[in-house]
Amino acid sequence: MRHNLRNIALTFAIAGALLIPAGHTPAAAQSAATAGSRVPTPGQFPPYKAPRTADGKPDFSGIWQAFVTADVDVQDHDAQAGPHPDIMGAYGAWPGGQGIVEGGEIPYKPEALAQKKANAEKRMVVNITSDPHRHDTGDPELKCYNPGVPRANYMPFPFQIIQGTDTILFSYEFARAVRTIYMNPNDKTIPQDPPADSWMGWSHGHFEGDTLVIDTTGFVPYTWFDRAGDYHSDALHVVERYTQVSPYHIMYEATIEDPNVFTRPWKVSFPLYRRMEKNIQLVDFNCTEFVLDLLYGQYSKRPTK
Amino acid sequence: MTNHLAVPSRAAQMILAAVLVAPTYVAAQSAVAVRDANTKSANARAKATATTKGWTMSRTPDGQPDLHGYWTSESFTPLERPAKYAGREFLTDKEAEEAQKTGLQRGYDRTYDDPVEEPVYDSTTFGLTPALEGFSPNKRTSLIVDPPDGRLPPRTPEALKRPRAIGDRDYIEPDGHGGGIVHADTPRDIGMRTTCVSMSGGPPILPGAYNNGLYIMQNSNYIVLQAEYGSELRIISLDGRPHVSPNIRRWHGDGRGHWEGDTLVVETTNFRPEATFRNANPKTLKITERFRRIAADQIEYSFTIDDPSTWTKPWTAIVPLHAIKGPFFEYACSESNMDVVNIMAGARATEKAAASEKPAAPTKK
Repeated sequence: MRHNLRNIALTFAIAGALLIPAGHTPAAAQSAATAGSRVPTPGQFPPYKAPRTADGKPDFSGIWQAFVTADVDVQDHDAQAGPHPDIMGAYGAWPGGQGIVEGGEIPYKPEALAQKKANAEKRMVVNITSDPHRHDTGDPELKCYNPGVPRANYMPFPFQIIQGTDTILFSYEFARAVRTIYMNPNDKTIPQDPPADSWMGWSHGHFEGDTLVIDTTGFVPYTWFDRAGDYHSDALHVVERYTQVSPYHIMYEATIEDPNVFTRPWKVSFPLYRRMEKNIQLVDFNCTEFVLDLLYGQYSKRPTK
Repeated sequence: MTNHLAVPSRAAQMILAAVLVAPTYVAAQSAVAVRDANTKSANARAKATATTKGWTMSRTPDGQPDLHGYWTSESFTPLERPAKYAGREFLTDKEAEEAQKTGLQRGYDRTYDDPVEEPVYDSTTFGLTPALEGFSPNKRTSLIVDPPDGRLPPRTPEALKRPRAIGDRDYIEPDGHGGGIVHADTPRDIGMRTTCVSMSGGPPILPGAYNNGLYIMQNSNYIVLQAEYGSELRIISLDGRPHVSPNIRRWHGDGRGHWEGDTLVVETTNFRPEATFRNANPKTLKITERFRRIAADQIEYSFTIDDPSTWTKPWTAIVPLHAIKGPFFEYACSESNMDVVNIMAGARATEKAAASEKPAAPTKK
């Protein structure tokens, strides 16, 4: 109801603004109104104040999705055929796109850049052992592993933000990854420092005005940022900023810091779009089922790989 | 070791599977650890009693009963009423204490008996959980409260003929004993829990051998239930929307919730065939769960299983949920799944050894 009133108010405000400078005939006003509802300029949003939860916090609830192609490569990239074009055809091809990295380039240390290139070359080399060497090669996405942060946010799958009082949950459709964001600094049962390394990290959040700021550390060194082999170490520290810029958009920004791999912190940013289908809900993308032969086929009675 | 953990046997089998394949025990630390665990348990119970007195239910900012927090379905009460308690719904105080003691003892036994030279798991991470977390004894003789005899109603003739769904298998035979490896020709022979395709998470919520924690978070529009075991989420909408199409089948079903007074009622349908509770019919199964906070440290949780093509009548169980200290850690199952590699490599090694013992098969063309 509040939204409706605001929208009506906004409509009047726009109409008024248009009518006053026009000041001519109704026909002229109408034409001005048509000219006034211009096609929006990408990257520019009119001022907006986010809706509020029952306890007065900016409310980020909803099902969101990115529409960048950063999962292929966070940097600028052309379309490519993808694996096995002989059988996969256009099904398996990867889209080109402009990158999400501020300034275009990730500031790798020289030796780390070599590792990124090696990762890319071996992104489909999967050798699952019963020890941590299973993580030596192969894109974790290919293996249906937890995608890590910030990659989970630009996978080509929706995710849901469920906002409670003391925690905010991020539920990702891909590989049913989940993040719990601890919002209550006074809850002493929640450790400040990560109690253990994890794939999706250990996250504390707070609000800065209308912006949700999430600080995440405690990562395993095994997740990648994309299929291009961009990676990090267990010193990864990600600070994310979520700001609602319209009823249908969040501007997302993440600062990525890892002194083992990068010469300085770097940033990615892109909008998240609210999924607006009536009765939208997450369904299951339980890809573990789809990778059983990829992961374990070498141990089958008739090896499948 | 006989499997006395009557609920749910599937989960218990998985544990046995893990234990048998990758022997996991560490040597007993000492009797001190057991004593400490006992003391903690007693303290937790004493605290529970104290906090229940004069309790008023807290509510969320929008007035819902506050279910938020960390809970455990840990229980020593069997799903079905044992024959010795026929006709009795409740234990005496003394019997309840005994049952609690026996249950805790079982955890110690599993943890400290039969140590192996090179432990892979540290069994203390789950064997002593009931003692460390502490929960009050359940006076019921069975979790099942309806039918009134505390036993599962008979299966229908159709259900008796129904084969077990592919995927809902484990490589341990239903008797749960060590020699029961059937085969592990492909990873699909191993069963969805061991391959991490789908763990527990319900519905319904029933305790297994470990990681029985449940995180509940809520807002005006959703209730979220997260199982500690597998970190799997159930996101339940409260806005009255209809279920998804029958063509969409979900690993934890499709849940819809509403409040009846101060009781949260969740109805779930749209189950996957390979992940349907107790080999019920995924097309006809409906599970109705009720959550009612009855104390600072307890939610009375009940579920009703209604599937006329599987059981001759609906049946209902009550599983107390006890408050525990959070938080839970990420359970990244597939990412560190050593079991499947070990089970399959072990099966291949066994075959190779067997083949080398036999005289070479005559080659003829």
